[in-house]
Amino acid sequence: MRRVAMKLPGARLGPALLLGLLIGTVPVRAVGAERAASVKELQQKLEESLKAIQALTERVRELEARQAGTAVAASAAPAAAPSAPAAPAAASPAPGQAATPGTTESARVEALAQQLDQLETANASRGTADTGVPLHGFADVGVSTHNPINADLKGFNVGNLDFYLTPRLSDRGRALFEMNTEVSGEGSVGVDLERAQIGYQLADQATVWLGRFHSPYGYVNTALHHGAWVNNSLRRPGFLQFEDSGGIVPAHTVGLWLTGAPRVGLGKVQYDAYVGNSQQIIDGVLDMRNAGNTHGHLIVGGRLGYLFNAGAAEGLTLGVHAFSAHIGDNALPANMTRVLTYGGYAVYDTDQWENIAEVYLFDNEDLSGTSGKHHSNAGFVQLGYRASWGVPYARYEYTSLDQADNYFGAQASGYSYHRSALGLRFDLSPDAAVKLEFADTQLTDRSRDQYGAGLMQYAIRF
Amino acid sequence: MRWRTVWLCAGLLLASGAGVSSNDATRLDQLPQQWRDDRGIPLTLGDLLGQRVVVSMAYTRCRSICPTTIAELQRVQKVFDARGEQASFVIVGFDPDNDDPASWHQYRINRQLQRSNWYFLTGSWRATRQLAQQLGFDFWTYDTHVMHEARLVMFDAQGNRGAAITPASGNWPALP
Repeated sequence: MRRVAMKLPGARLGPALLLGLLIGTVPVRAVGAERAASVKELQQKLEESLKAIQALTERVRELEARQAGTAVAASAAPAAAPSAPAAPAAASPAPGQAATPGTTESARVEALAQQLDQLETANASRGTADTGVPLHGFADVGVSTHNPINADLKGFNVGNLDFYLTPRLSDRGRALFEMNTEVSGEGSVGVDLERAQIGYQLADQATVWLGRFHSPYGYVNTALHHGAWVNNSLRRPGFLQFEDSGGIVPAHTVGLWLTGAPRVGLGKVQYDAYVGNSQQIIDGVLDMRNAGNTHGHLIVGGRLGYLFNAGAAEGLTLGVHAFSAHIGDNALPANMTRVLTYGGYAVYDTDQWENIAEVYLFDNEDLSGTSGKHHSNAGFVQLGYRASWGVPYARYEYTSLDQADNYFGAQASGYSYHRSALGLRFDLSPDAAVKLEFADTQLTDRSRDQYGAGLMQYAIRF
Repeated sequence: MRWRTVWLCAGLLLASGAGVSSNDATRLDQLPQQWRDDRGIPLTLGDLLGQRVVVSMAYTRCRSICPTTIAELQRVQKVFDARGEQASFVIVGFDPDNDDPASWHQYRINRQLQRSNWYFLTGSWRATRQLAQQLGFDFWTYDTHVMHEARLVMFDAQGNRGAAITPASGNWPALP
């Protein structure tokens, strides 16, 4: 910018800089205001300014033309007596006097131009980091022989369009919002506020959150969000999908969450404790009761893990998790189940490996009927290798769910299955990935269907 | 000639008024100075004066934002190489608990980031936070992640802070 400005004829320098400033600063504010009317108004002002600049440019040209004429006349005097020995000495004061103020002024102009350049750079560099809310977006589309969420569908599909905001509040204030648009099995597009949590950092290793958050159990549910790009595999394990995508464990909780990861020894202890509205099964799908529930029962849970940061186990995380809730449904008469879930997880996350294993045990009790207690379990193992050309992965997942348990019986996806999958992730660029997966799924109770599926997903972040 | 000055002054006034917020100007030698590189050797940022310095922050366990940051640093390196300019690249760890010199050393090997003008630094929590605050690197921990944005801050050979580069609309702006 500065180099260009200094090469411009003098008469154009000022207007050019002003024009640059107008273009460089005013529209930024207008866009920031996000109001088309403001933009239009600014455009009008800009046009007026351009007219004024044009008029002033003409005036500057006129003045400089007069000044140039004077300078030429003054410089002609010494040039007229080149042979006279005294002439240069005698003549030198004239150009010297003319040059000194000019040089000084040029230096000032140069200095001012540099300052202007720095100010422009500083203004440009502030960007969204200082003026707005950091916004991240994720989107994915795909094609498959069996839709990754709705297995009865095939062909091309639109996945998620996920917006992820982390507004900065203060040194200790925290906020995280995630809005996701997704396509239902019927093809309609819905928008969901997947996470709406506002927190406060009580201490370096203790943050309390209030709102809707991902229930802290296992690894996947908090490590991944709704943007497909962050996941090396094409999809989450079926039983750990989000509620409206076939998940059978409450992925979201509306409540209070205390979390932290203090350093202990050579690693970190990761702890979580949470309480929130007990979820409800509505029309076969778990609902996290954003506005509260009618019976006042709570889900209470926690997670405790240890992340090894050094030694042979560096990158390994081992942990346990549990929650208890009273979860009913909207059947007539309604069922109520005390759900007690517990289990463990292991993650080996290094530059080369992403290996994850999670297990869930369910000891549920029928509180509204006489079916008594039911035991079920589910789990998965995924091995992934971070090669320079991509991330191949293999996964085995299963559920063994007691169909006499109202908690599973009332859920549309509460069936037992096992699935083996091989997949591959290619990163086309730092913000775009293509994923392929071939999976074989065997349903083992409500039906005995078995199907193979080939899936492709194109996921981006922006 | 006076017109130029008038215009420039007006421009300066406009530019200064157009600033959304005022960041304290920071020189490289005004930042926290006590760091260790990936070999555990103490390094003072002021020692890097004399050529351009590009500063960024990252953490070794980051799989999403930091690869983009590193890719951008490599792009900047290529630009400087093409221009024949010398520059130092400084990457300060967000998480001193995890990002010790040994972790950074392995990080460099795994990603083939072994040019001698690249420095992966570990400091105290206090120094890390102070540098982050001075250079506008907002960060906080969430689960086992560090929430942060991709950002590079440039310093000229005299140590004066220049442009900060952040991704905008999915693209990084041109290198100043």
